[in-house]
Amino acid sequence: MQEATFLILTALADGSQHGYGIITEVAQISAGRVRLRAGTLYTALDRLRADGLVAVDGEEVVEGRLRRYYRLTPEGTAVLAAEAARLQANAAAALARLRPGLAGGLA
Amino acid sequence: MSEQVQAGTARLERGYRRVLACYPRSFRAENADEVLAVLLAAAAAGQARVGWAEGWDLVRGGVRMRLWPAASRPRAVRAAVTLMLAGAAAELAALITVVVTSGAVRAAVAAQHPATGNGVLVHQVAVLAGAPLAIGMWLWLAWANGQGEDWARMISAACFCLLTLSGLGALSQHAATYAPASMIAAATVWAIGLSSVVLIFTPAAGRYYRPQLAQQ
Repeated sequence: MQEATFLILTALADGSQHGYGIITEVAQISAGRVRLRAGTLYTALDRLRADGLVAVDGEEVVEGRLRRYYRLTPEGTAVLAAEAARLQANAAAALARLRPGLAGGLA
Repeated sequence: MSEQVQAGTARLERGYRRVLACYPRSFRAENADEVLAVLLAAAAAGQARVGWAEGWDLVRGGVRMRLWPAASRPRAVRAAVTLMLAGAAAELAALITVVVTSGAVRAAVAAQHPATGNGVLVHQVAVLAGAPLAIGMWLWLAWANGQGEDWARMISAACFCLLTLSGLGALSQHAATYAPASMIAAATVWAIGLSSVVLIFTPAAGRYYRPQLAQQ
């Protein structure tokens, strides 16, 4: 899974968001490192919707502009949980192997 | 909002709409207003033009959606479309090679076999004229097969037969004169053609293609 996709799913994990909301959430989650652009966001959303991981959760018009809200489907929640567990296991393995080296560096 | 800012926003909106034209019509019908709202919300204060980076990001998204639509396309068709794009890239690489080396090749042939100098020029002109046609054909077939057009499958198969026959014809006449590099290039293109045609005629891909009778 690409990082942008992972972060979009993460942004939706605790509730539905509209497009611009996802962009600001992703910036926050990644501590400002990932600034999603609209083209990337909507290409990813289009695919996530087709794969059934994300669904539309209503629309509203704010100041004459259309806002569409997105939410995770149960399948999307399961995929995100599996990917997060995989990343965590990889990170734990990397840190465990680095520890002797880090200790040596400190000595 | 001052009039100047309003005029800037209107201009920016027109700019974004122009760039959004590279997205598929069905996507625009459903999402253009929504994407536009996000673009305007993310725009810098006073911005009146589409920036290079965001413009590039939008164009890339649009091209991607057109070439690899998310709508459930069988894996075999997706692979065939990617192979056809690779075919176009291979033809382009061959074209660039011929253009870059044309002078040197003509000089070398003229030095070694003065009598055949014109034949080389004719061959090079044929490549220059034929390659853009072949590139266009690969791109067009990639697009049409991706759309699930049944006639695209038939034309792809016909093109592959032509490619095979012309390759065999060329081999039987002047097999000895071909350089290993051009043999490898031709074999690569042929293998790409073969794999993509096999893929679009697999049963999994077959269900994706619309039968032409359905139009009536």
